[in-house]
Amino acid sequence: MSALSRDVAVAGVGYSPITRTGRPDVRELTLLACRAALDDAGLAPNDVDAIAEYQFGQGDAPTAVGAQRLLGIDNLHMFNDLMGTGPSGLASALDATMAVASGVCETALVYRCITRDAGHTGALRAGPSSAGGALQFTAPYGLGGGIIHTMGMRKRRRLAELGGSPEDYGQVALNARRWGLLNDRAVLREPLTMEEYLGSRMVSDPLVLLDCDYPVNGACAAVVTTAERAADLRQPVVVVDAMAYGTGRNADWLYGEDLLFGGTRPCAERLWSMASVGPGDVDVAELYDGFTHITISWVEALGFCGIGEFGDWVDDGRRIGPGGPLPLNTHGGQLSEGRLHGLGFLTEAVLQLRGGEGARQVEGAEVAVVANAHGPQCGAMVLTRG
Amino acid sequence: MVLRCSACGYYLHPPEPACPRCLGDALEPTAVSGRGTLFSFTVARQAFDVAFLDHLPYVLALIELVEQPGLRILTNIVDDPPDALEVGAPVEVTFEARGGWSIPQFRLARDGTR
Repeated sequence: MSALSRDVAVAGVGYSPITRTGRPDVRELTLLACRAALDDAGLAPNDVDAIAEYQFGQGDAPTAVGAQRLLGIDNLHMFNDLMGTGPSGLASALDATMAVASGVCETALVYRCITRDAGHTGALRAGPSSAGGALQFTAPYGLGGGIIHTMGMRKRRRLAELGGSPEDYGQVALNARRWGLLNDRAVLREPLTMEEYLGSRMVSDPLVLLDCDYPVNGACAAVVTTAERAADLRQPVVVVDAMAYGTGRNADWLYGEDLLFGGTRPCAERLWSMASVGPGDVDVAELYDGFTHITISWVEALGFCGIGEFGDWVDDGRRIGPGGPLPLNTHGGQLSEGRLHGLGFLTEAVLQLRGGEGARQVEGAEVAVVANAHGPQCGAMVLTRG
Repeated sequence: MVLRCSACGYYLHPPEPACPRCLGDALEPTAVSGRGTLFSFTVARQAFDVAFLDHLPYVLALIELVEQPGLRILTNIVDDPPDALEVGAPVEVTFEARGGWSIPQFRLARDGTR
């Protein structure tokens, strides 16, 4: 028995095509991903009685009931639209896990659909000519690009406070490409050298372009149900062993007390306190890489190495690459597969725990950890092979 | 000026309707020294807002004010080149006139002390 009141499993995963150009219809993307996830589980739309989804509210995804209509589902026992302040796409699966565990619903469909228009926070925009509220303390100074500038400040502060080098960050970017080469879905599949990483365009010094993930059009989806139900479905059972959220004090991307780690440390502490396993049991880690800083934070917060020790621990990338002792972001993460905004880490973990992922399969993987986001909106899950 | 709780003396920025430490709602804008340290900074090389295209590169910084540990405000660093900056350096406030407003900006402390 897990820490949840009834055991919950992820029984299906699916993807739409992932593209770098064009403006596809978000309903079409969502439909393709949801249908693929249901097919994967061996379920029909009306087997679903709950939908949770995460979006920015910028037209980047259909609402939960919008997806219900797309799929022709008669009624929902739970539906939830989670907006952009939670643990990215994983928020939808965290929500569904609680709903299924509680008995409010039996089988939930979750998805994250995102477009380049919504996901490309680095785009040039026209800002406000005047600002009120908290914005008056940031807009006049030119803070913009979503959290890009705050990530530049985090990287600078980490290097000053904890030491290490820009190459440590580069190892996350290089690792993504190594794994991405083995993933047909990945959009950036050219090998990357440290020289190319270090020489990439400076965006928010010391943050370089290749510290940032790559915006795409795409959707991914998962089916969350009881472990009991999952045992009768098409795929090997993957159980949610534990889940947790975390925010940290004075939770804020800019003013949060722990600028370097945000809520990752309290989230990880809570996660391990609830899990039946510990960091030493993890076979594969899928840790958010919207920015390379985030991945490094999670590695340390989750206790794979000590705080500030990532650079030595990563061992020039051998630790986390194919064949390494802690395979990390085995789909290439968002730096290579593309920015599916969080849920892709969960779906990849599920695929790894089932086995059969071909060239990138982590042999005998039984325990995976998935983590999303940073700053004031952290979430994580431990998954085990049932 | 930074908002301060009249009951417990806690400074808060950006302003909120009540003190997060004691939940008191008697808050007063209070003069601060304008001194602090450079908690971190980044040099913006790419603009995300068209209004800042002509200002590149510019420095965005978080200043921790001397009045209270963790009391941080966002600013630009003006008058000093990015190369002269390092995390932990003492800084002082200076004011910039812009569009009829006076906005606080920071620069390296001229007397070299905190």
